[in-house]
Formats: sequence, C-alpha cells, structure tokens
Amino acid sequence: MEDTVFNGGFFTTALWIALGVCCLGLLWRLVSWLIIKIGPDAKEVSFLQRLGAAIIGGIKAIFSKRLPGIIGGFVLDSLLQRRLFKVSKKRWLGHMLLFYGCLVLIVMHALHVLLADKLFSDYQATLNPFLLLRNVFGVATLVGVVLMTSGRKKDWGKVRPARLPIDALFGILVVVIVVTGFLLEAQKMSSPKAFNRMAEEYGIDEDEIKGLRWVWKLDYGVAFPDLKGEPDPDLLEEGRGYNEDYCVGCHSKPQHAFVSYPVAKAAGLIATSTDAANVDKGLLYIHIFACFFAIALLPFTRVFHVVADPISLVVRGAASSAPLSKAGRVNRRALAMDACIRCGLCDFDCSVGPIAKWMNNQELLPSRKVQATRLVASRSEIKAGQAERLAVGAHLCTDCGRCTDRCPVGLDLADLWDAGRGDLSSKGFPAPAVWVKEEPAIAWAEALGAELGRVPPAGPLTADRNQFSACVQCQTCTNVCPVVANSGEDRVDLAPQQVMNLLRLGMNDLALGSKMVWDCATCYQCQENCPEGIRVTDIMLELRGAAWRQLGPVRDRRRSI
Amino acid sequence: MNSQDQLWDVAVVGAGIAGMSAAIFAASKGLSVLHIGNGSGLVFGSGLLDVLAVHPVKDSTVHEDPWHGIELLRKDEPSNPLALVGPKAMEVAVNQIMEALGKAGMPYEPSTTNHFVPTSMGTLKGTFGVPTTMTSGAKAFENKWPTLLIEIRGLREFSAAQMVHTMGDKWPGLRFEKIEFPDSKGVFELYATHLATALETNKTRQAVIDIVRPLIGDAKAVGFPAILGLSESTAVHKAFEDALGVPVFEIPTMPTSVPGLRLKHSFEVAAAAAGVFRRVQSVVTGVKFDNDIATLTLQDATGNQEVQAKAVILATGRFMGRGLFADREKVREPLLDLFVEQPESRENWHSRDFFAKSGHAINRCGLLVDSKWRPTDAFGAVVWPRLYAVGSILARQDWMRQKSGSGLAIGTAWAAVSAMSDDFGSIGGV
Ligand SMILES: Cc1cc2nc3c(=O)[nH]c(=O)nc-3n(C[C@H](O)[C@H](O)[C@H](O)COP(=O)(O)OP(=O)(O)OC[C@H]3O[C@@H](n4cnc5c(N)ncnc54)[C@H](O)[C@@H]3O)c2cc1C
Ligand code: SF4
Ligand code: SF4
Ligand code: SF4
Ligand code: SF4
Repeated sequence: MEDTVFNGGFFTTALWIALGVCCLGLLWRLVSWLIIKIGPDAKEVSFLQRLGAAIIGGIKAIFSKRLPGIIGGFVLDSLLQRRLFKVSKKRWLGHMLLFYGCLVLIVMHALHVLLADKLFSDYQATLNPFLLLRNVFGVATLVGVVLMTSGRKKDWGKVRPARLPIDALFGILVVVIVVTGFLLEAQKMSSPKAFNRMAEEYGIDEDEIKGLRWVWKLDYGVAFPDLKGEPDPDLLEEGRGYNEDYCVGCHSKPQHAFVSYPVAKAAGLIATSTDAANVDKGLLYIHIFACFFAIALLPFTRVFHVVADPISLVVRGAASSAPLSKAGRVNRRALAMDACIRCGLCDFDCSVGPIAKWMNNQELLPSRKVQATRLVASRSEIKAGQAERLAVGAHLCTDCGRCTDRCPVGLDLADLWDAGRGDLSSKGFPAPAVWVKEEPAIAWAEALGAELGRVPPAGPLTADRNQFSACVQCQTCTNVCPVVANSGEDRVDLAPQQVMNLLRLGMNDLALGSKMVWDCATCYQCQENCPEGIRVTDIMLELRGAAWRQLGPVRDRRRSI
Repeated sequence: MNSQDQLWDVAVVGAGIAGMSAAIFAASKGLSVLHIGNGSGLVFGSGLLDVLAVHPVKDSTVHEDPWHGIELLRKDEPSNPLALVGPKAMEVAVNQIMEALGKAGMPYEPSTTNHFVPTSMGTLKGTFGVPTTMTSGAKAFENKWPTLLIEIRGLREFSAAQMVHTMGDKWPGLRFEKIEFPDSKGVFELYATHLATALETNKTRQAVIDIVRPLIGDAKAVGFPAILGLSESTAVHKAFEDALGVPVFEIPTMPTSVPGLRLKHSFEVAAAAAGVFRRVQSVVTGVKFDNDIATLTLQDATGNQEVQAKAVILATGRFMGRGLFADREKVREPLLDLFVEQPESRENWHSRDFFAKSGHAINRCGLLVDSKWRPTDAFGAVVWPRLYAVGSILARQDWMRQKSGSGLAIGTAWAAVSAMSDDFGSIGGV
C-alpha cells in the first residue's frame, strides 16, 4: 500500500515541497556559516575569503595526517556521545535510543525502497527479523524521547538551558510518527481488505482461499467479519498447507510485532474490521504528513545539529593541529551558532555559574551566551537594559576555559567569548576595566563628588578604619605586587600602598577610579606579605566592586548627555 | 585537615621570629602545633640575625663575642630575658634556627662571633647570623679590599654614593658605579623585590653581568644592594660570583627589604618542614582557659572559629606587632589583658632626652614571666599553668638598642618550649 500512495500526485507533490523546504533551509543555514559576522575581526574578511577558508579547511582535514584522529574523535564524540555519557548515563541512553531508533527506522522503513531493499537481499517488512526489529526500534525511539524529556529539571537543575518551541514541536512530530506507525501496522494486521489485495496479487483461487482465511483469522489475527464459530478441521488443515506454500515465505507470525499486535488486539481491531471506517487512510495521512512536516522543519530545529556537529568536530580536530586562519575562525564562530545544541553541559562547571542566580542574570551562563553573542553581533540595535545584562555576562567570564573543555560538540567557546566582548566594546559596552581607565582617577573622583557630594565607603572593609589604619606605609605590598613589577613604562597610577594611604586619608573616592584597582590580579601576594595583616587584596576587590557600581551610573549619565 | 577538629598540644600565637621559632622548636619535639598569625614582622628584618651586640646600652659598648656579652648581662641585668636564657641555650637555639633556614633555602655562614656588616647607611652592623650572600661584605671591609659598589638608577632605598661618602675615609679602595637596570628605561621608581625576581631569569641576570663586568677594574669584591634573587638567592648569588670572578656580596637595605621577604619565606618553609600546621590570615581575638584546655577564638575573612589546645605560647610582639597597646593612660596587653610591667605614669615613659643612649622606660615595659616563661600577675602568680610568653613582648629588655632582636625571639622561644615540653612530660601529655 505504501508503494501505491506515491503514485498519486498529491503525496508526491507534498513530498517534493517538504524536501524543497528542507533543502532551502539547509542551504540557508550552510550559507549563514559564511555570512554571520561575529567578532570585530569578522569585518576584515570577505565572503570569498571565508568560502575559500571553508573549502581549503575541508580539503586539508581530509588529506591531513590527523584524519584517523579526527575520525576517532568523531566516533567517540558524535557516534558514541562520550561526553554525555560522563555527565548523565540516563540522558546518554535516551540520546542513543532516539538517534539510532530514528536512524534505523529511516533506513529500514521510510527509505526501504532506496536502502533496505538494496542492503538486504531478503528484505521483507513482514518477515523476521525485520518485523521484530521495526517494533524494537519504534519502541527505542519512544523510550529515547521519554528519557530525553523527562527529569530535565532535575538533571539540569537551575542551569537548565532554554528550549525553543520549534524543538518541542519536532519532538511531538517524532512521537506522532512512531505511534501512528504502530497503529497502522496494527490496523493492517487485522484488515481483510489488505488480505484480499494480497490474495488477488498472488492469484489465489476461490477454493484455496477458504481455508487460508481461517488460518489468517486464527494465526494472523485478520478480522474477517463473516468467519464465526469453529472452522472445519479439514478445511483448516488444507489452509495451513496453502499458507506454507504461498505465505510463510514472506510473513512471520504477527506476535513478533510485539507492540503492534498487542495494540491491535487490545484495540479490538482483531475482532472487528476497521476497513469500512477508513481508519487506515486517516492514520496513513497523519503518519506521512507528520514525516513530511518533520523533513521540512528539520533545518530549523535543534536537530540540525546532526549536520553541524560532525563538521564542528572536524574543525576542532583540524584546529588542534594548526591554528585556523582569521577567516576560518570567523566561520567557526558562525558555525557555532548552529552546532550548539543548547545541551547546557558548559553551564555545569562554569566558574561564574553559581553567581548567575544570585545576580539574577542568566546571561552569565555560557549556554546562553552563545546565542547572545550572535545577538550582539547582529546589526540591529539591542535594548539598552538587555545589552547591559549581556555585557555583565560577557565581562564577568573569567576565561577559565572550562566550558570549552566540556562542550560535546567541540566549540571554541574561549574564542567566541573573546569575539563577543569585542563586539560589545564596539557597541559601547566595554569591560569596566576599560572604561574606568579612560579617565584618570582624579576625574572620576570629581565627577562622583559633583553627583553625590560625599562619596560613601566602598563596602564593609573600607568603611572600617581598623582595617587599614595600621598600615605603616612600609611598601611591602607594592614590593611584592607582580602587576606593579610588570607594568613597565605604562605604570599603574597608584601602587597598592598608595591606595591604602588614600583610604587612611579618607580619600576613597580617589581610590575608586585608580587603574591599580582594575589591574590587580588578585594574587593575594600583598595581603599575604603585609606585616600589619591588612587585607590589601580584599580591599582592592571591594573597591573594584564599588567602582563598577558607583562609576557605572556616572558614566551612563554622561554618555546620555 | 581542619584546625578546629582536633585538640592541639600547643597553639602558638604570632608570626614574628619568636612565634615562628617557638612553633618550629615545639614541632621538632614531636608536639602537634597549630600556628596562628596574621601578617608578619618578619619582612621588616634585614636578614641579619642579631644575638647581642651592645651592652651596656648606656655606653653603646659593642661586643665581638655575643656570649661574653650575655655573661656580662647576667651580672648587670639578671632579669633581662636574654640573661635568663643564658649563653649556652642561646647558642644551641640560634644555630638550630640558622640550620633550619639554610635547609629552607636561606643559608647562613656558620658563626661563633659577631660580624661587622656594611649597611646601606654606610654604617657597620654588628650581628651574629649573616646570610651567605652578605658575608663577603664583612670580609671586604675587614681586609679593606678595593671594592666596587653598584648603584641602580631608580632604586631609591639604596645609595652607593652615600655609602662611599660615609665609609670612604675608613675604606679607601671603595668606589661605586651607577647602572641602568635592564628594561627599566623611563621607569621612575624601581622596587627591590621586582629587580630580585627579574634577576632570577637568565636573560636579565646575564644583562646585568654584562653591564657590571667591564666596571670591575681592580676591585677584589663587588657589592650590590640586596636584590640578588628572591627565593633563589643562593643560586643567583653564585651565578654572579662565577661570572664576575670576584667575591660578590649583598648590602642589607632599609626595611622592608628583599632579605626580609626571604626570611619570611624561609621561616614558612622551615615551619612546614617541621610539621607545623599554620593558620595564616587569621588573628586570635579571644582565649578562654579551663582546667586543662585553652579555647582560642580565631577570626579570618570568613568569620570566627574556635580551636582548642593544651598549651598556648604568646608571641605577639610589641606595639608594632600589636602584642602591646598603649592608650592615654597605660600600656595594655590587648588579647588577655595580662599584667604589663611599666612606669607608674605616662610622664615616665620617655626620658627627658629623646635621644638618650640608655633608651626609655617604655622600651623595657612588657610581660613578666616566671622561671618557666609563664606570664604572671603583679605578684608573681601564673595566669594559667600552660600559658607561655616569648619574644619582644617580654619586659626588661631593649632589643633594639641591645641589637639582640633575633636572639631575644629565638632564645626565649627555645627556653619556653623546653620548659613546656618538660611540663608535658610530667603530665604525660604527648
Ligand atoms: C624595622 C625592623 C628592623 C629589624 N631589623 C632586624 C635586624 O636587623 N636583625 C634582627 O635580628 N632582627 C631585626 N628585626 C626583627 C626583630 O628581631 C623582631 O621583630 C623582634 O625580635 C620581635 O619579634 P617577635 O616575634 O617577638 O614580634 P613581632 O615580630 O612583632 O611579631 C608579632 C606577631 O604577632 C602577630 N600578632 C599579634 N597579635 C596577634 C593576634 N591577636 N593574633 C594573631 N597574631 C597576632 C603579629 O601580627 C606579628 O606577626 C627588625 C624588626 C623591625 C621592626
Ligand atoms: S556551547 Fe556546547 S556545551 Fe554549551 S550548550 Fe552549546 S553545545 Fe552544549
Ligand atoms: S570561560 Fe567563562 S563562560 Fe566558560 S566556564 Fe569559564 S567563566 Fe564560564
Ligand atoms: S604592606 Fe601593609 S602596612 Fe605595608 S604599606 Fe602595604 S598595606 Fe601598608
Ligand atoms: S593582589 Fe593585586 S595589588 Fe596585591 S599583589 Fe596581587 S596584583 Fe598586586
């Protein structure tokens, strides 16, 4: 019957449309990898340079000595999902079941004319092991969906990445396809119409068919409405003979369809024929249109990562042996937009992740920052409030590199964050360390004084004179400070001991805007060595926090004038 | 390990020379030691370990033999803590610390007498323990070798010109050259520690060697400010001697100096090697005693914690270390409010002559201890049977004028720990 549906123009047209949309979508996304501009250096490379980098990169990857390594990485990371396995066995199982369930169903069932028939000389959907396996993989797919969607909140906790509606829709489509598939199979098992069609095809004559019908009612569950009571034993025996001759070569016992058969039974299909109600047609339409819809949707959902991720992994493999060209790096950032599966693994270990909740700013989390980077890079204006939130997220990142280590699809997040900060700077949101240093400390102090009158202490440490009054100006802190030591000609404006002296003199406003406060590497050398036990580094940090809080608004007001 | 989860044999409070030495001595005796100290006066040190150079203070008599000096002190000031320690114990204690510091990367020249080391002020400092990087300075002066001093532009705490000016008539062959430190063009002020770490790299060291070598001329020794390496001073010093072909010595600079940081670092390494458990960055804010156990409240950036110990050694220093505190009326001991021996009233703190050679009464105030180094009240009764006090917090000494800072700290630490461990033996503590 499946073979026949495509003969009608309607389904064929629908399929072509779905494939057309899918291909255009794929093309659009592929081209976007050469168009999206992320990072200040993206403006310096042309489309052609990027195209060239992509082609050369691809060729290089194929002919490089590292190909076995790249393939090995692909097997482990893509096919076997090694990283996900380490994080959650349950989610790993779900992902494997879903992916391989779908894959096998597509190869063996949806595309059987193209693939399965050619791969297996004796392929018959109704014959074991194929009959059994189709049910197995259908179930695997459903279990996969359940495992992947259930307990997301529990597994991912507060850092659960955002999920897009279109991805949920795709998931629903998969469930619909598999469920209608089972129902269709169940319906077909019990359908006299299907039996009659087969009998006709095989030219079985009137006499033979009587016994055969009884065999198929009893052994295969076809719901012949007219067969009631017990069959004549001889007739049945005879039917069994014909069955051996004509049918068993292509039909295993339906019980092997361990889902569809019980469904058919439970739904009472085995007892009553649903042919008349056209249930089969309805199911088939749903099944097939769900498939088409899924095909058309594919490039626009997260599922597109099945294309983007292997490429991303290959790029990572290539990048680990030789640094990418500028154009290659820019391409890679654009690719990252599609390759990121929003799995949220990067959020797990993020050094600043724990304060995301405390600051009530999800934009600190790397999984969110991936998309934010694109938003910032886009030509359109971002709302001021949002830009500030994104800027906080971008600039608080400690560049610890844990997210890059974690990312299962091999994104170079470190490079992405760097590029993102560059874009933020060029849109007027540089890191505080940058904009504070644009003015000398004295200018900030004056601006602050003009706005606030008396500048409040930076925090509990600077408010408490006992914390620094013991400073004897011995200069040990400055002596041991690696930042002062390495600042060369471009000296810090105030050495640590001078900052402490300002505090002693009650000039904390001047301390706030000092470059030292921002250049401090928080190495704790000064605090560790201060003979008077003064918490020099803690005070530096407190000043830095206060500078951000107090000078930020001053800057914003001045900018708006 | 968490310091609050266990009952310590000893808690040592204070991270100066006295506290560090006491912790090391106690740990070497097999006691479990918790050492608490925030900040450390150690960085003020010059690296030179003074045992006793001056006695009597009022005559500024300088001794070459510190043991003889202590013998004299015993007759003249029998209750001076240095006299109570005595020359024998002092010798053992100071040598033990010098050995420990040597193992920790800051070797001292083996010594039996005081040495006279030229300082950046152009004076000679009589001292007992001299780091090997500084010993040739004393020899060069003693033998009046023609000597080249190197001054570095931008390093404000050291002027070789000043040294030559003051010492020149006693030391005719002394001359100096001023050099530009590599990569320091345009930098107005240089810091000794930064130069010291820079000299630990081959490139910078070689560059300095190349600048200095042509300047040596007839000099038989070359003196640098104390910047020859921070934690690698032995190796840096040796590299300079090998490359320049003459003895090279460091000249101690004003506090806080590179050798002060070395001293702090080496004491920390030595304490760790002895098995001391250290709680840095915390202060003791309170101590409660019951029959056998002292409970100390520790405060750090994260809050308060309590630890328990069977004995407590107080080594919190004087005014600068905050072991003593002077208010309008009197001098107090802020942690336990212990009895502080001091002049009747504030008027008597200082002599009328501020520069009086004999010093001021305030310099000799401090804690009184019994024969086992336990603080007592005004009537000689101990405060708690296993509370000990060591170092500069003790009364009846003037380490600054006696030039006996390290000796006082190390010697009293040794004596108190000996008394304490005898006590532990008798209570079967360990
Ligand atoms: C300017 C200067 C130059 C010196 N030069 C020399 C020299 O040339 N040769 C030499 O031999 N010695 C020198 N010394 C060092 C001197 O020997 C010692 O400082 C002196 O012996 C005192 O040692 P101390 O350990 O008793 O006290 P300090 O060194 O004052 O140490 C006391 C320690 O206790 C800590 N403390 C106080 N209260 C608490 C508390 N409640 N909780 C925790 N910790 C606390 C303090 O933070 C400090 O670390 C110099 C010292 C100074 C200041
Ligand atoms: S960046 Fe990588 S780890 Fe993070 S959500 Fe995207 S794919 Fe997952
Ligand atoms: S590099 Fe930044 S985003 Fe990535 S884990 Fe570290 S702090 Fe988080
Ligand atoms: S080391 Fe401490 S006492 Fe010395 S100048 Fe710095 S803050 Fe002041
Ligand atoms: S913590 Fe900051 S100020 Fe202190 S020594 Fe390190 S870099 Fe310098």
